[in-house]
Amino acid sequence: MEFKDYYKILGVEANADKKAIKVAYRKLARKYHPDVSEHKDAEEKFKEVTEAYEVLYDEKKRAEYDEVRQYCSNDGGFRPPPGWRPGADRQEDFSAGSDFSDFFSSMFGQAGQQSDFGSRRRQASKGRDIETDLPIFLEDTLSVESKTISYTIPQYTADGRVTEITKSLSVKIPAGVEAGERIRLKGQGEPGGPNGIDGDLYLRIRLVPHPLFDVEGHNLIITVPLAPWEAALGSKLAMPTLDGKITMSIPPNSQTGQRLRIRGKGLVKKLPVGERGDLFAVLKVVMPKTTNDDIKKKWQELADQAAFDPRSEWSDK
Amino acid sequence: MMNNTQLYIMKFDELCRVADLPEHFVLEIVEQGIIEPEGDSPDQWVFTTHMVSITKKAVRLHRDLDIDWPGIALAISLLDDLEQLRAENHQLKQRLNRFTAY
Repeated sequence: MEFKDYYKILGVEANADKKAIKVAYRKLARKYHPDVSEHKDAEEKFKEVTEAYEVLYDEKKRAEYDEVRQYCSNDGGFRPPPGWRPGADRQEDFSAGSDFSDFFSSMFGQAGQQSDFGSRRRQASKGRDIETDLPIFLEDTLSVESKTISYTIPQYTADGRVTEITKSLSVKIPAGVEAGERIRLKGQGEPGGPNGIDGDLYLRIRLVPHPLFDVEGHNLIITVPLAPWEAALGSKLAMPTLDGKITMSIPPNSQTGQRLRIRGKGLVKKLPVGERGDLFAVLKVVMPKTTNDDIKKKWQELADQAAFDPRSEWSDK
Repeated sequence: MMNNTQLYIMKFDELCRVADLPEHFVLEIVEQGIIEPEGDSPDQWVFTTHMVSITKKAVRLHRDLDIDWPGIALAISLLDDLEQLRAENHQLKQRLNRFTAY
């Protein structure tokens, strides 16, 4: 079992007073709260910090912990002191689903978790909700899609031990789902305790980045590279959309950055049913990477004949 | 197994049950305008799944960071803005990359 140095976790000295511990905890809690933090291990860090605070802010627990801490070996391992009775013998509440470490549980038991939050007791009977990301391809948002999802949930065996099982579900994803939207699957979360209701599963929709299209609300954006002569003379080209290729006309004298709208080729809207956003084609004039003497001559002719000053607005200044 | 239990809306009592919260918490959250259910009175209120997750977030912040309800309302609205700006920034960067890559 890994020994937890709660003082180190909170960044306080071993003789820190309660006030210092509270300040240190609050700072770290704000920093690592999973709803606020972008830190990749935010949830783990937050649990660790909360656990440390629960122990060090409680005088009785802190005294017990300080005693055990003396037996902590240098390598971080933990040899229980002689005659130490792990708290696991005390009271066990298997349905509570402790968030705290094995180290904490073995010292204080799961029942050692104090919380002033009124509904904690009721939570013991309701299984926890699970929230998980569901990546969706843009193409799959156009119509109702069935997706098979797999996730793990803890399962409590008859003798009170916890194992993990993998669950698979086939889920209907409605047309027009949006990034960040949550789909609730009732009763598919963690199982509840005896007589308790099961938790729910929430699928958080994440749109997989597309190699060609960017999303802006219900509209899609595609960048269209054009040769200088295509921009100058106009052109007809085959353009990819989410549902197959279409022919698009580029008007003569088109500019880089110009947006052409293709109606109804964007993403599906939920309401009104059947309506879709638009596809915007953003033009980008690109130069050929190589050239030769003949081509150079042609450009030179063009330069001589076309009286064009692209920087006319500079000369006014 | 085909699953058809997706729910987009729920009533007040179901929200309290689903989020596992006493009624006064949810009433407080609605009063602060943190979520705005449709309907004029609690028995007519209709909540979306998104509101459930905001409600839970509000309660977590209240419980874990010891913030009062007006503070939660402010934090949630700022977090929302931040999330939107991050998403927008990400999109614009991606579009700029496509535009400047040759």
